Amino acid sequence: MAVVGIDLGTTNSVVATVRGGQVVVVPTSQGGYLHPSVVSFSPDGLRYFSVDAVARRILDPKNTVYSAKRLIGLPFRSDEVQKALVRLPYELREGNNEQAVFIGPDRTYTIPEVSGLLLGYLRQCAEMFLSDAVSAAVITVPATFNDSQRRATVDAGRIAGVDVLRVLNEPTAAALAYGLGQNMSQRIAVYDFGGGTFDITILRVENDVFEVLATGGDTFLGGDDLDSSLLNILAELFNAEHGIDPRNDQAARSRLLIAAEQVKRHLSDFPEARGDLKNIAVGSSGEPLALRFHIARSVFETAIRGLVGRTIQACQDVLASAQLLPSQIDEVIMVGGTTRVPMVRAEVERYFGRPPRTDLNPDEVVAWGAAIQAENLANAGESLPSRAVLLDVTPRALGIAVTGGFAERIIDRNVPVPVEQTRIFSTSSNGQTSVRIQVCQGESRRFEENVPLGELELTGLQPARRGDVSIEVTFKVDTNGILRVRARDGATGAAREAAVNVRGAMSESEVAEAAERQKYEEPSDLPEIPEA
Amino acid sequence: MAGMSTEQLAAFVRQIFPRLDQLSYYDLLGVPSGSDQATVRTAFYRLAGDLHPDRYHTLADHDLKEQLEMIYSRVCEGYRVLTTPEKRAAYERALNQGKKRLTATDRESHAPQNPEDSLRHPEAKKFFRMGMICLGRKDWKGAIMNFNFARTFEPTATLIAQKLAEAQAALGKPGGAGGTPHKTP
Repeated sequence: MAVVGIDLGTTNSVVATVRGGQVVVVPTSQGGYLHPSVVSFSPDGLRYFSVDAVARRILDPKNTVYSAKRLIGLPFRSDEVQKALVRLPYELREGNNEQAVFIGPDRTYTIPEVSGLLLGYLRQCAEMFLSDAVSAAVITVPATFNDSQRRATVDAGRIAGVDVLRVLNEPTAAALAYGLGQNMSQRIAVYDFGGGTFDITILRVENDVFEVLATGGDTFLGGDDLDSSLLNILAELFNAEHGIDPRNDQAARSRLLIAAEQVKRHLSDFPEARGDLKNIAVGSSGEPLALRFHIARSVFETAIRGLVGRTIQACQDVLASAQLLPSQIDEVIMVGGTTRVPMVRAEVERYFGRPPRTDLNPDEVVAWGAAIQAENLANAGESLPSRAVLLDVTPRALGIAVTGGFAERIIDRNVPVPVEQTRIFSTSSNGQTSVRIQVCQGESRRFEENVPLGELELTGLQPARRGDVSIEVTFKVDTNGILRVRARDGATGAAREAAVNVRGAMSESEVAEAAERQKYEEPSDLPEIPEA
Repeated sequence: MAGMSTEQLAAFVRQIFPRLDQLSYYDLLGVPSGSDQATVRTAFYRLAGDLHPDRYHTLADHDLKEQLEMIYSRVCEGYRVLTTPEKRAAYERALNQGKKRLTATDRESHAPQNPEDSLRHPEAKKFFRMGMICLGRKDWKGAIMNFNFARTFEPTATLIAQKLAEAQAALGKPGGAGGTPHKTP
């Protein structure tokens, strides 16, 4: 039995494991190490995954899901999903419990189900490569992922039949992979500019203890946005030449977006990019329209300056919350493919006043750390030699709604996990026999300015005058960053526990059903390995 | 950080868990009161090496695991409070009132909402406030008297009953919270 670390990315995923004390990365069927996070459901009932599904983003955009990480664990009506909706060519609608569900050719799929299918595929890749069953995994998530996003990621793992040992923050995983802080104390900034998200995390590392001091970022800023900037440049060029805006045509847009991604990569290594894109769109008389282009790196840099500036602003905010200056950072680690963009490196170096570390592959470093941690957890037992301890913190403050439209904070931002805090509240009207506890995340004093996470109801209170009934609300965040809420009737002392109904999440039975279905749909297709 | 065996962990939990609410953050972290941030951190890192949930991820005993996690959560809380100057100052005040744990109400004592805001009778509020002042001075008898007065005006208020019980408990303990509020192991 093997355990693996999985960096389940917005754009690409990486799977790694530790064998004989060495980290090995599971290759794709085409020999690379990045498994595109794409699942395609063809109308004839077949499914395509990852490298085999990428081309289908153009051939069958309506049935090909990518960037599922942008949607996982978020309610359909959330800003993030609504924003993503505009860009995504496949269809989503609101399903049970405010979830965003994908409308597939045969039926609808919840987002954890789609991610679960991808995870199941990644697991099989690992099993074939390792010639061993993979039972458990550490899955990484952005440090800024909230409770429901983490929960949904665990659900995806369960649907794939993978025991999720731990949901690990990506920056912590990266720091672990670099193995810094041996025999000394260092402050490290992990600058993680991935396909879909930007994270900045400050850690203190000392003798195998990795303590997150502060974390922040932008869940809606990544390499995809750089691609969009280039897409706009290409679209404008196309428009100038043919008088047609290819962004209005879903297929043309998809083609240009793929070209934009390639141009971006090229511009990381060369000062200019030239090309000839055939069959972008169709003209008025049915003739295929092409685009010949020449883009200088400086043009691209002008277009993305604002986006890169937002990452530096986020660095400033996080350093301020850790009460540190850029000069107090001993090492800056670069994570995520977008850190290959020369301008990104230059701006980071300028801000921190030191060249960032790029010696480990920025695409693989998170999976490396996840693999190391998976190995640590699977072997957690008696009297093992010293190993890394990862001390993570809560990404956002957590609280509940109180009268007057306010939010009362129960757990602060950036506190070490696990954490448990109880606060006592009272009823707001006479004879009240139940309370509705609305849970939110965010730092605002006003409830509506925070992000609602879910709610629970505590019933059967003894009727009394307002204010005389005390309700103890306990928030518990575990090492995975997952919140559990307990409400207790303080008067009777009887513990009445209620589960939070998390907005946009699958129910227990839905997850179990999906897991069962996936099991059924993929009947023991593991190749049998003859004994050595 | 050699790591503890299951037997050592179980013995540790048996020793600490039942007394968790009686231990100050200093006791839990095993540092003298007044220790500087670096000392607190070193102690915390050492403890995290033994007690972090990842260390006993494979432990089969669910109850033991749960209790360990509660202890470790409290250790984290102590680390956080003792290394944040404002929180630490609030904690020192709470310790002087005989509390071992900084709760949200202590932390936000400067917040617009006063504890007596939940009381409705003006006389009850007045005596409750005086009772709280006595409590702060460790004048347990004065506190009991004032809380009793407050209760005659608003007998159903749980807040008064709680504070009264607190004062009575402090008085009942010879040399209790009034003597040395925190001792170091």
